[in-house]
Amino acid sequence: MLLDAKNVSKAFGSFLAVSGADLAVDEHEIIGLIGPNGAGKSTFFNCLAGETMPTTGRIVFAGEDVTRAGPAVHARAGIGRTFQVPITFEDMTVLENVMVGAFLRRPHRNDARDHARRIVELTGLQPEQRPRSLGTPGRKRLEIARVLATDPRLLLLDESLAGLTPTELQAAIALVRRIHDMGITIVIVEHIMEVIMTLTKRVLVFNQGHVIASGTPESVVRQDAVIEAYLGRAHRRQQDQKSV
Amino acid sequence: MKSIFSPRRRIALLAVALLLFPVVFSGAFARDIGVAFLLAAISASAWNIVGGYAGQVSVGHSMFFGIGAYMPLLFYSLFGWSPIAGIPVGIVLSIALAVVIGMPTFRLTGHYFSMATIAVAELIRIFVGTWDFVGAAVGLQGPATARGWWDLTFRSELPYYYIFLAVLGIVLATTAFIERRRFGFYLRAIKASERAARSLGVPVRRTKMQALALSAAFTSVAGSLYAAKTGFIDPDSGFGILVSVQMVIVAALGGAGMLFGPLLGALILIPLQIATNTWFGGGGSGLTYILYGGIIVVIARFEPGGLFELWYRVVPERWRRAYAT
Repeated sequence: MLLDAKNVSKAFGSFLAVSGADLAVDEHEIIGLIGPNGAGKSTFFNCLAGETMPTTGRIVFAGEDVTRAGPAVHARAGIGRTFQVPITFEDMTVLENVMVGAFLRRPHRNDARDHARRIVELTGLQPEQRPRSLGTPGRKRLEIARVLATDPRLLLLDESLAGLTPTELQAAIALVRRIHDMGITIVIVEHIMEVIMTLTKRVLVFNQGHVIASGTPESVVRQDAVIEAYLGRAHRRQQDQKSV
Repeated sequence: MKSIFSPRRRIALLAVALLLFPVVFSGAFARDIGVAFLLAAISASAWNIVGGYAGQVSVGHSMFFGIGAYMPLLFYSLFGWSPIAGIPVGIVLSIALAVVIGMPTFRLTGHYFSMATIAVAELIRIFVGTWDFVGAAVGLQGPATARGWWDLTFRSELPYYYIFLAVLGIVLATTAFIERRRFGFYLRAIKASERAARSLGVPVRRTKMQALALSAAFTSVAGSLYAAKTGFIDPDSGFGILVSVQMVIVAALGGAGMLFGPLLGALILIPLQIATNTWFGGGGSGLTYILYGGIIVVIARFEPGGLFELWYRVVPERWRRAYAT
């Protein structure tokens, strides 16, 4: 098992954002986290990335307890993440942005630059472009490129495919598949059900800080609790119409 | 075919111009301006490492400048030693202070960090001003007449000019070196977003601390050079807030976080400052504050990236390429 998060809770004062969430991830899996806004997905995600320290629970990654470790330690251990609102290094070119990630395991500039060039090529970006000229889809792609350059074993994608046009979405799905084919395990937070249904084999559904369902995407979307809390009755009608 | 404006040749031209300046302008006043320009460029380039590249805007760098300035004259006053003996002690003390100051203040960000550095520098200034061991408010004096070159007391401006130029060369070469290495990339990433930098495994606090220590060491050397040149130091000229503010403005005017930004800033600001002091005499010292305040407002409002960034934005890329290739 690559990641084992057990009984993870996070409280902000008296507000319990995440309550006793469990997540076990095997190597080479793609797992989806879904749920309505404010359900606790991002907080749980931040706990996995080391940005937020859980109030209770334990997170073990590749046999190492990383529960109390910060994000830099997580990155060194092999957990990479993107942000819901992309954060790029504006004064650097695309290549330089990716080199920051590449330097994690390649201290020498030439090695880091060569590795960064390969990643930039893989993600279809232009190395000399500035982030401000990319637009949101390009910036999200740059974030993915930057974290890929750290050679992660587990990639946490936080709504990296949101806000894309249908064409861009297909290209992004293809990119995530390519990343997965490289042997990288992926946990993805996403609202777009097409992405979840296409990419993932297992889904966790969050609502009000609790995991209310888990299983294959096909089984999860039929569960009453999930439809009630997240997908809505319109989704049920669509399902019924399809079955007719 | 490379034109004379390729980056390497531009640097070579700059070096030749700086080397020849005191030869071409042999008057004492011109050389004095040259020395003041170099000192401002050294201080601002030292500040630039942590303030420009890492984006940690310290407004208390006078604490390192003051330590560097006091140590050579303190060693001379106490033991009659050459002021040179105090320079490494100043560097070591400045690095130690940087570590002590950095540990709590690097938990702060943005304006809070700047305010904390001002507070520490002011506390040190007040403390030094009341401490008899270091001359209290009167300050310390260096050798009136030189016993030898090692007293760093010269009648002519020329030796100071070339010593300062050599130190500036070392500071810029070091900055250029780190700019291209992992350390330089990490500093720029931290400046852009500490959160994103951490997520990529950047040891943010350690990197900031190393930048502050390096910056403090060079600022301390600048202070030592100042003390050697003037032969006198007191709490205001060593630890005064204007010392820190000048470093910030010189770097910001030219372009903070750019290798030659502080040089450009010093090239504009120092002659301007000397001109106001010359035109208005003693009454001109207050004008320096007004000038600094005005420049801060203009930079913050219209060009936070400094004049180099303005150049990059205004001059079309094809022109710049034509110059560079």
